Amino acid sequence: MLSFGLVDAQPPVFFEELSVGQEFTSPGRTVTEADIVIFAGLSGDYNVLHTDAEHMKSSIFGERIAHGLLGLSIQQGLASRGEPAAAHGVLSALKWKFKGPIKIGDTVHVLSRIAGKRDGPDAGRGLVTVERRLVNQRGEVVQEGETEHVVERRKP
Amino acid sequence: MSGAALAPAQCFFEDVEKGVALETPGITLTRAHVALFTGVTGDTALRDPDAVPELLPLCLSSGLGWRLPRRPLAVLAFMGFEWRIVGAVRVGDTIHSVSLTVAKRSMREGGVIIEERRIVNQRGETVQSVKLTLLVARRPVA
Repeated sequence: MLSFGLVDAQPPVFFEELSVGQEFTSPGRTVTEADIVIFAGLSGDYNVLHTDAEHMKSSIFGERIAHGLLGLSIQQGLASRGEPAAAHGVLSALKWKFKGPIKIGDTVHVLSRIAGKRDGPDAGRGLVTVERRLVNQRGEVVQEGETEHVVERRKP
Repeated sequence: MSGAALAPAQCFFEDVEKGVALETPGITLTRAHVALFTGVTGDTALRDPDAVPELLPLCLSSGLGWRLPRRPLAVLAFMGFEWRIVGAVRVGDTIHSVSLTVAKRSMREGGVIIEERRIVNQRGETVQSVKLTLLVARRPVA
């Protein structure tokens, strides 16, 4: 059973209980220099965009920016604290766009909306698609896309 | 950039060849990777400790590309991607990636590259597949 942050006292939600159009807002999270350093070390992606402060002074961003995939990873954690706990809700696919930079000190949160439900890989599970937007402290959408999750159906 | 002497050696838009498969070295997934990644994401979902979070192989594949025997790609912006899980990844598995540039489109500021990437395990099974859109810098005029 999965349990999700702020709502972990609640029972998991099954496929039948999710409805198209439901919306959720996650808590916020401030992205720090430490997040970027740890992510560079973990992923091995040392692109100057994320690691060379002097080089980035003369770039269009003016400073280091977070890895796109770091923003996506933070988004995944935030969404787990904003969306209901889906029973065995495994992420199975996503379509994602990077719209703008995340800079050190920016605070982001996730807005989610259940966009679709359909039959899953077997009779016991369904597929749920969720539209998610990662929004900064100025209300700008910095990343957005659609995630697909395999969610258990309630046992008859 | 203050001078040509400081410019890092990079693989520019003009240098990228379409249709050439690039196979990276491998990386063995450990519980340490899972713990560090879960710390970064803050994902509160309780998991089997040997289950690898779905997005971790994708994130590691971006660093595997840096271990190819070529200069790093001069990425200006990661524009977007489509990704799907094909198979499960467990702690102890060793993954690598195989990438192919399938399209190149010249733009005013640089060029757009569409790359298809497969993340493959030690048994040769594709576990994740990704189609990425990257904006890459042109070679600076000397």
